[in-house]
Amino acid sequence: MVSQKVIITNPSGLHARPASVLAQAAGKCGSDVLLLYGEKQIQAKSILNIMAAAIKSGSEVEIRCSGETEEEDLKKIVALIESGLGE
Amino acid sequence: MEQIYVEKTASRGIAVARVYKHQEPEWTPDQHMITAAQMEEELGKFRQARENVMQELSALASENEIFAAHLEIAGDFALQEGIEAKIAGEQKNAQLAVHEVVEEFAAIFEAMDDAYMKERGADIKDIGKRLMEKLKGIQRQDLGMLREAVIVAAKDLYPSDTVKLSPEFVKGIITEEGGVTSHVSIIAKSMNIPTLVGVKGILNKLEDGMLVCMDAGKGIIVTEPEEEVQQEYLAKKQAYEEERARLRRLRELQAVTKEGKRISLCVNVGNAEDIRHALDMKIDGVGLFRSEFLYMENSHFPTEEEQFQVYKEAAELCPQELTIRTLDIGGDKELSYFTFEKEENPFLGWRAIRISLDMKEMFKEQLRAILRASAFGHVRIMFPMIISPEELKAAKAIAAECKTELAQEGKAFDPDIELGMMMETPASVLLAEEFAKEADFFSIGTNDLTQYLLAVDRGNKKIADRYDYFHPAVVKAIGEIIRAGHQEGIKVGMCGEMAGDSRATELLLELGLDEFSMSAGSIDDIRAEILKEQA
Repeated sequence: MVSQKVIITNPSGLHARPASVLAQAAGKCGSDVLLLYGEKQIQAKSILNIMAAAIKSGSEVEIRCSGETEEEDLKKIVALIESGLGE
Repeated sequence: MEQIYVEKTASRGIAVARVYKHQEPEWTPDQHMITAAQMEEELGKFRQARENVMQELSALASENEIFAAHLEIAGDFALQEGIEAKIAGEQKNAQLAVHEVVEEFAAIFEAMDDAYMKERGADIKDIGKRLMEKLKGIQRQDLGMLREAVIVAAKDLYPSDTVKLSPEFVKGIITEEGGVTSHVSIIAKSMNIPTLVGVKGILNKLEDGMLVCMDAGKGIIVTEPEEEVQQEYLAKKQAYEEERARLRRLRELQAVTKEGKRISLCVNVGNAEDIRHALDMKIDGVGLFRSEFLYMENSHFPTEEEQFQVYKEAAELCPQELTIRTLDIGGDKELSYFTFEKEENPFLGWRAIRISLDMKEMFKEQLRAILRASAFGHVRIMFPMIISPEELKAAKAIAAECKTELAQEGKAFDPDIELGMMMETPASVLLAEEFAKEADFFSIGTNDLTQYLLAVDRGNKKIADRYDYFHPAVVKAIGEIIRAGHQEGIKVGMCGEMAGDSRATELLLELGLDEFSMSAGSIDDIRAEILKEQA
């Protein structure tokens, strides 16, 4: 298992569109991708789970990947979030 | 054969046709638990339903963004996992599992503060309905799909049902709920469909395909009529239609009172189709274009361009006068793509101009669209539910801002466009003199005015008899509004139900009303009533 913390920079937080980009990317990962936000553990493959967590702009989120491709998956997801998830 | 007498006529006329029952499907899930042996079968049912829903949504998604988002949710990993866990882990049947997971997710979103996220709760529920349809084998009923002449019987009809009605196939309407000022009544009247509302228990007496005669004007429904009764009704239907024909011949005459005052006869419409239908009646214009239908029939807030196309078409159809009322939503009118917070008193809540002023960008899209359409006819803008001169000034200021922008962009509009207001709140009556200095015209909305002045909910059946626009307080208020308007030299019209009620015409003429705007179905009667004064 590997993990890294990132800050969500999207102006409206993880709203529908960035949540959709993230869920799709996580869906393509070979490992399990979890977002840790406060007390919550969020399945990154689910747009509903991401949106339901109502993650606000400026919050810190820990990305945790576990599985065969965890190293490269983590890099990919962190880079995607840092790039603003297509926004 | 049975004769049923009804009190509330929403739209007159006679119909003889077979019954078509329009029922909201039973969404309640099966409650039973399953055994371990049934688990695979239930999982299979769910996966098949999910597959079908996703196919259905894929086909819709290419045309519409909303369905693209629905498709994504329907295919969501957590939704699937949650439902399958209920089936496999908690021994719940597929219907119950879908219902519970959908409700859980919807509740999370509906509890959010953000209005946009709240809406997602409605999306999830809509997907839940689609899954449930597949699991229960329910066929969606769509009134727009009717291809034979029927009398539609329903508990109630919602705006989304009535906009699809075609008078070609829908010969009559009977509903268990609703009053004469409810939405279904207004629509039915504009389409000249005989309609009776508030007919309690009627669905238990009618069956699909049963032959029924109805005389909506007299409030009579006859089920399974004997041959001679059926003949009698067909004859009555013919006589009624001949009388309508006589009234039609009066259309060649102008509506002038015995004093020689030319009265403006206008229609209330919801779209360009209604205007086309009303043009035959020789109208003087549109006194009320209900722009909310454009919002209600859409899957998103209509863009400036989408609205412009609609208003332009309407302005070209009706060059004499087109009065567009800005968005009047809230109260009993909702949007599928926007969740309104539950309110204790929606009619006293966040509605009409209050929403427009709070959502300025959306309001500007509408005003810009109307202004651009004003280059193609005589367009007037009307603001609903105004209670203070400050509100009217704020709305006018936003309109001025839009004008400046359009001028800078080099887009055409009528620089002298009239900006008027609905007179429908007690506050507007008390401050009528002040408003008359600010507004370019008044239009009296008697439906809300009556409800607010008398403190009588117009949707409440128990007090329906107290809802009365002939109440002295309402009549006095109307007289006051007209007096205040004329004092400042502005035109005063009326676009509520009262304008189309021939019992009120003489009174309104005496009070000095300049313009009567009503559903198309009443135009002939009111013209005859105005001309009768001459003789």
